[in-house]
Amino acid sequence: MTKNSDTTAGIYKETLLAGLWRENPVFRLLLGMCPTLAVTAAVKPALTMGLSVIFVLVCSNIVVSLMRNLLKPHLRILMFTLTISTFVTIADLFLRAFQPVMSERLGPYVPLIIVNCIIICRAEACASKNNLVVSIIDAIGMGVGFTMTLCVLASIRELLSTGMIFEAKVMPDWFVPWAAMSMPVGAFITLGLLLGLVNRLTKGKS
Amino acid sequence: MTDKIKYFVQQSWLLIVSSFCFGLLLAIANAAWSPRIEQNRINKLNALAGRLIPEANDFVPLEKMGVTIEVTTLKGDRKKVDIYKAMAGEQCLGWTFNAVGPGFQDKIELIIAVDKDFETIAGFDVLASNESPGTGERIKEKDFRKQFEGKPTVKLELIKSGKAKDNKILAISGATISSEFVVEIINHYIKEVREEMQKKGLLGNDKE
Repeated sequence: MTKNSDTTAGIYKETLLAGLWRENPVFRLLLGMCPTLAVTAAVKPALTMGLSVIFVLVCSNIVVSLMRNLLKPHLRILMFTLTISTFVTIADLFLRAFQPVMSERLGPYVPLIIVNCIIICRAEACASKNNLVVSIIDAIGMGVGFTMTLCVLASIRELLSTGMIFEAKVMPDWFVPWAAMSMPVGAFITLGLLLGLVNRLTKGKS
Repeated sequence: MTDKIKYFVQQSWLLIVSSFCFGLLLAIANAAWSPRIEQNRINKLNALAGRLIPEANDFVPLEKMGVTIEVTTLKGDRKKVDIYKAMAGEQCLGWTFNAVGPGFQDKIELIIAVDKDFETIAGFDVLASNESPGTGERIKEKDFRKQFEGKPTVKLELIKSGKAKDNKILAISGATISSEFVVEIINHYIKEVREEMQKKGLLGNDKE
């Protein structure tokens, strides 16, 4: 904790930055691995998944934070799941109505946000213990951190598997696409290398 | 007894109230967006059907004509098939219908088009699939799909090498299983849909 973390503004800043790097859900906490591996073959679906998670994370944190004093300890997980599944269903319906192509491309991974560990983790670790503002900031920080990670992973995979980023050609004509990078093996290798890089960069700092 | 009810309400009132509120929220979202979702589905079907029978200017669902067709799926259960009559003015040019079956990783959903007498295949397209990228997903590619155009509606046979003559379809190199699934789905649905349509009197009964 830094000196200014004792002030309100400092707490907000710390909360926001935690999700982006220090407690990044994918690189540091190893949460939400299923979408991280499954939807990062290209940047567009990764970004859509990230935005959907931000929406669900913010909404569920708001609801959980507002009802935190009314929650019965033994029913809290049930309440979290109910809240999360409602917002995930809304996100899924929205995508099917307004982004049908992307919705098809993401397939079952949008409904599967319900069981995404990041969201239930933030409801339990932050929203059920903190006020509304901190909960919203935490959700934004974690959501943006998750989205950035997905986009980094997807950029590398899309670039190497198709020679494109955001479906725009960036690699020279002589480049031979690596088909394996769009397959699960590409996801595991890229994620493994990125995790290794992050561990190397943060070695001794934690 | 009263104490038990009181305890139950004390413990679960938040869950009951939240369930009601969330249910209401979902009902509103569903009511607002379901027409658009249905329209998206119809648009996609029409766009694909339009590519398969480009001369047609209208695709009339058989349901609109008061006919419902159910077939036995590859799993063995009975399922309704969305069949469209491809029209150019008053003239019927053919039929399109959706078909679904198992794939290598997930189910494969196809739209199949045949001529008006169910004698030749006009083509097929993939509505949804989740085959392996780079190999199985090549069932969507034109080179593979083009082989089916003009084939007779007899049982198609998949070959691994040679020329795709008569009723033969050349498998995609490296994606033989996905190719097999596509051929199996097409063979099964053409037979089933034709039989059901013959039973309903929509086709002649001279086909095997």
